[in-house]
Amino acid sequence: MTPKDGAAPHAELIGATRTESRRLMEQWWQNLEAAENEGRPVANVFVMGSLAEILATFDIPMSFPEITSLQTAVRGKSMDYLTAAEDYGYSPDICGYVKVDVGVHLKGREHPNGKLPKPSLVVSPNTCNTYIKWSEIWERIYGCPVFVLDLPGWRGTAAAGMTLEDFERDRAYVEGQLRELIALCEQVTGTPFDIDRLREVMGEVNELSELYQQVLAENRHHPAPFDAMLEGLNFMGIANAYRGVPEGTEFLRIALAELRERVRLGMGAIPEEKYRLLLIGTACYSHFRRFLELFHGWGGVFVHSEYMSFGGGGIDRGIAYDLDRPIESLAEQILSSSGKCFSGIFFSQDWQADIVGGWDIDGICYHGIKSCRTVSTGLPDTREWQMREHDIPGLFIQSDLVDARLWSDAQMKNRVDAFFEALASRKAQARR
Amino acid sequence: MLVAGVDVGSTQTKAVVMDSGPKVIGRALIETGARLTEAAQEAFRLAVADAGVDEQDVIAVTGTGYGRYRVEFGDAQVTEISCHARGAAFLFPETTSVLDVGGQDTKAIRLGEAGHVLDFCMNDKCSAGTGRFLGAASQALEIPLGELGPLALTAKNPVKMTTTCTVFAESEILGWLALGRKLEDVLMGVHVAIASRSISLLRRVGIEPEITFTGGVSRNTAMVKLLEELTECPINVSEESHYCGAIGAALFALDRALAEAAADAKGGVLP
Amino acid sequence: MDDELAQIFDECRELVEDTDFPAVRRWLAANPDGKVLGHFQVYFPEELAHAAGMLPIKILGGPSSLQIRQADARFAAFVCSIIRSSLELALTDKVDFLSLFVTHPICDAARHSCGVWARNLPDLPCQILYLPHNVRSAYARDYLEGEYRRIAGIIEDVTGRPVTDEALRASIEVFNENRRLLRELYRIKRETPWLVSCVEAYLLTRTGALMPREEHSNLLRRALPLLQAREAKPQDKIRVVFEGGFCEQPPLEMLSVIQDACYVVDDDLMIGLRWLVEDVPADGDPFAALAEAYIERSSYSPVQRDPEKPKEEMLIRRIREANAEAAIVAAAKMCEPGLEEQVAYSRALDEAEIPHLVMEFEEKTNVFEQVRMEVETFAESLLFEFA
Repeated sequence: MTPKDGAAPHAELIGATRTESRRLMEQWWQNLEAAENEGRPVANVFVMGSLAEILATFDIPMSFPEITSLQTAVRGKSMDYLTAAEDYGYSPDICGYVKVDVGVHLKGREHPNGKLPKPSLVVSPNTCNTYIKWSEIWERIYGCPVFVLDLPGWRGTAAAGMTLEDFERDRAYVEGQLRELIALCEQVTGTPFDIDRLREVMGEVNELSELYQQVLAENRHHPAPFDAMLEGLNFMGIANAYRGVPEGTEFLRIALAELRERVRLGMGAIPEEKYRLLLIGTACYSHFRRFLELFHGWGGVFVHSEYMSFGGGGIDRGIAYDLDRPIESLAEQILSSSGKCFSGIFFSQDWQADIVGGWDIDGICYHGIKSCRTVSTGLPDTREWQMREHDIPGLFIQSDLVDARLWSDAQMKNRVDAFFEALASRKAQARR
Repeated sequence: MLVAGVDVGSTQTKAVVMDSGPKVIGRALIETGARLTEAAQEAFRLAVADAGVDEQDVIAVTGTGYGRYRVEFGDAQVTEISCHARGAAFLFPETTSVLDVGGQDTKAIRLGEAGHVLDFCMNDKCSAGTGRFLGAASQALEIPLGELGPLALTAKNPVKMTTTCTVFAESEILGWLALGRKLEDVLMGVHVAIASRSISLLRRVGIEPEITFTGGVSRNTAMVKLLEELTECPINVSEESHYCGAIGAALFALDRALAEAAADAKGGVLP
Repeated sequence: MDDELAQIFDECRELVEDTDFPAVRRWLAANPDGKVLGHFQVYFPEELAHAAGMLPIKILGGPSSLQIRQADARFAAFVCSIIRSSLELALTDKVDFLSLFVTHPICDAARHSCGVWARNLPDLPCQILYLPHNVRSAYARDYLEGEYRRIAGIIEDVTGRPVTDEALRASIEVFNENRRLLRELYRIKRETPWLVSCVEAYLLTRTGALMPREEHSNLLRRALPLLQAREAKPQDKIRVVFEGGFCEQPPLEMLSVIQDACYVVDDDLMIGLRWLVEDVPADGDPFAALAEAYIERSSYSPVQRDPEKPKEEMLIRRIREANAEAAIVAAAKMCEPGLEEQVAYSRALDEAEIPHLVMEFEEKTNVFEQVRMEVETFAESLLFEFA
């Protein structure tokens, strides 16, 4: 490929992100196992409000059960765990992540990637109600403290809206809870809290957020240099697992350099980009490659996704911590993420329309997750809203995060094919 | 200029041969069975024979339906959603919405100009509320499929089915009969359940006249009547609506044949 | 006397089964300027609405007679029935009298409901009352008090009437009285279950969600003495606790099938109406009192987190306090929290050696033969065991 500016291609940049993300993911597992072996505390946390800032301050390694659950599906092993949990009594109709994780714990915490540590502490925000139910399961098994963090989010529609006073009250509540979480971490680790260390961590998150936004913005280019449902998931995973530590920010720097080089070389995420798509929902990890193939085969690229927003821990909208008042500022910004990115998904039509405009998107794919009410409940309604109010074509399909039984290949292919046929005919009509 | 469309569905395979009129001049319908490729070939051969033309003269064939990639002699594949839309607009040019209730799935499609697909929705992964549900009823009650509709129309006091799940249909049907409910009332209950599910899909794309009802279940008179009641719109049904997907596929084949002819005339090569 | 009771139950049944909300429409006819607040399950401090002269009612889906025609198209698969049927009521103008709709973070489908309602009913203000899950935080009470004040502010906007401390204290008295009567009903049920059947007690309770609370208290005041004066004799039935009715409600026929074989001596049906288990102090700051009561004088459910009230221990306590010998642990189909809790309940009951029957239900079920067979078999197994 010939770079646009004529300078020689930097071959070493291409593929560097992938290599580094693999290394970091392996290292993340090694850290968890080491902590377990050395008897150091590990915290179970969730992507929508991990409170990594506080945990990193205490050097408490974070285990993300959402990530470890999905990893079993990527390796084609999720069904063993799902079945174990269902045999134990869990319904086929509940969250697949919960069941995979229960299955792992039932099988002595043996996970295809290594041994999952025993949680010493759980930080469970209310951003997904199932987080709380899930945490109660570990509480019962291990008797570990469960810190439920209330992040009051989007409140609905009313003429008055949320006043500054309302926000201040929520903020005070969150700040109070953060102080209580700090006290709990002191108790669990036996280490006194160091506010300067918190400042350092928050400084890293400021940078992480800035870089993450730049990464997303690179996909405004045509062709888009990455697919939000492929490479994007790596960006998101590392941003969660390494939030607040220098390796996380360094990783996004590597990613950004590669993306910029790809843009310079005109290298798209797929050989020939024909359609630019936004994904609402999450990935299907049990049929990860196949899912993408269905879209890539038609020249469809996911240039953005809501998953990279709520699943990225809310750093996509920009975090700017005020390091002069760290705890207050942490409360403020986490609360704001909660309203915009986490509970924001209940009413996200305006955000979606903005992204469609900003990233020059041809259509939205709403991928309902059967076992996840948090991401899926209102999708058909939102799809119609976008069709009706903004004439944005939408495809609604359903499968699951980890439950391979809920994937029906012929039906998925049929819907996706028909959607692209309709998009093609729409483009043809527009040209006329 | 002759073209063909072959619609390999989950239960039946349909084929039509069409001239440049465009007019359907031959048709065939057979059970799909387990061998999709053979079924496609057989249906195509029968349709050609029905048209009384020479197979060699059919210059373009489009495959559609679940088995579309098994129409190995075809030169293009298009989903049955696009094909039903196209076929419905061919049969009833004023069509705005299409409801296709097949053996395995139900589709609601909203059309733009010339059969262009604006939006579509399909049933959930399971076959709840599809033609298969009627099949289950037919089996449980040992009544031929074709007689279900007329019998249901004699119902005076239809039961309320709680399930549209094919797996549970039989036990619920037998449960109602055990409670002494009349056969026709139970049957009508089954029809109402499917019709409600179908309307729910149609609502997702918007119910606007004219509505064209296609697929195997469109031959069921009770279903047509229920849909008219629920949508408060007259429903277009054609003798040909069973062939709607195949007709749409043939029209796509015709597009291609015409484009190639035009390119040949210009002496150019199709991109 | 039995005639009067029969008449009361007929009236209650009609109210429960009629999806046109006749009691609300009667109230509106008598109060032409009156405004109605509808709130989704489980708990809402209805005193806030009452104090501004609003009529608070529960939006809790519909019976099997309510056909879901429009709401299905708005939701993904795997969403429970009550979420769909509640929206159906709104889309088919059955609750066109609402001036405000409030839902709660009890589950993710309920939170999404707020967005779906708001998109489909642009003229109706839709709110989420964020009840806390971290109730043991030292800051939770102040937060909740503030959240109640926020909702009261919206109620003031809607009604044009202020929620004064004085009015709120008076409303608290009205609801305290109603909760006392409901507690009395449940005492009768626990101590003398042959005097009031499960369905009867349920009808008497549930109507509270559908009519002005003063009217409901009058109804209870009429019914309770009549129940106690009944001349019924105990039968040879097992005593069970029914758990799983905190949100979506089982059909009346299902409760009837259960009561044929068991005395349901306690349950969590419509627990939101009985969420506060003691009187709320009507002196002092009424907002603070309501917030305090939510946290400190309250029941339990799978959708409320309180580490000091582990749910399985609470269930076992409910069973022991009601002197029950067994439990029916039900969950609504597709109810994530209910189905998850069901496993914990069932494991804990196994450990405590309390016999229990696990089942799923849906509000719109209308065939009960299988339930009958299960419940009868369960009851028989216990009767034979104890014989």
